[in-house]
Amino acid sequence: MASSAIKSGTLVSLQDIYPSSPFFKQGASLRVTGKLQEYSVETAVAIVIDGNANLKINTQHLRDLSFRVGSFYQFIGELLIQPDNEAILQARVGRNVDGIDLNLYHQSLQLLRQFQADHLSTT
Amino acid sequence: MDHNHRRRRLYNTHVKLLAFDLLSLSQTPSHSSSDPISFSRKGALLSRAETVGTVTSRDLKPSKFLKFTIDDGTGCVGCVLWLNHLDSPYFARRSPPDVRLIAEAANRFASEIRLGVVARVRGRITSYRGTVQITVSDVVVERDPNAETLHCLECMNLARNCYDASGL
Repeated sequence: MASSAIKSGTLVSLQDIYPSSPFFKQGASLRVTGKLQEYSVETAVAIVIDGNANLKINTQHLRDLSFRVGSFYQFIGELLIQPDNEAILQARVGRNVDGIDLNLYHQSLQLLRQFQADHLSTT
Repeated sequence: MDHNHRRRRLYNTHVKLLAFDLLSLSQTPSHSSSDPISFSRKGALLSRAETVGTVTSRDLKPSKFLKFTIDDGTGCVGCVLWLNHLDSPYFARRSPPDVRLIAEAANRFASEIRLGVVARVRGRITSYRGTVQITVSDVVVERDPNAETLHCLECMNLARNCYDASGL
């Protein structure tokens, strides 16, 4: 089965993506969530924000997704770190998540990380 | 509750598991070829699971099967939805109207599984080439943007308060 070729997008907050972070790796598969601040039809690059963090998303491979500034989106894809150390996520799937409770999302992400760490230590 | 009853208390219920948990299940050795396949998690025998996540791959062989991947952020679960009811010897013994209903439902599910949608998938836990996967019995597309978060919380809650408990 080809499932081994598809990597799971690790759940991260935009605040987790900065040069010295463990998630800041070339080709890392990530899932990010944020509000659309800017979108360029020519380059298909979107900029999403969450609090004071932002991330560029390459959306050229996405189909059936309309981009509205101010709406919330979630993307799964691979991180491309450019020579100037700026990162852009090459998205393979994306969806509009307007209505998402970001506070709950962040809290459950913290709980999940603890849960996975506990699970590893007991098996 | 005696030992055997305790081991089977989660058998045949759709346990809600996160992908990393589901993928780490160990298949219990069967004593004969007629034993149903089961998997074990902290002493409990499991046969069915429910997973919720984003569809990140899709491979359709019309009238045969749809293979797809559900990514919930903790891992990728391979799923197979059989579409070969009308010419499968397994279904040949059942009444044709029933088989047609099952086949129609399966085809409806297959059309709903598209790249990027969030789906709640239930089915039997099976194994293919050494990797745990789900043989799908039903699919619901989740449009609520908080569905995955809620499923994650449910999985953690159930693991702590129900699935992990050894002395019931």
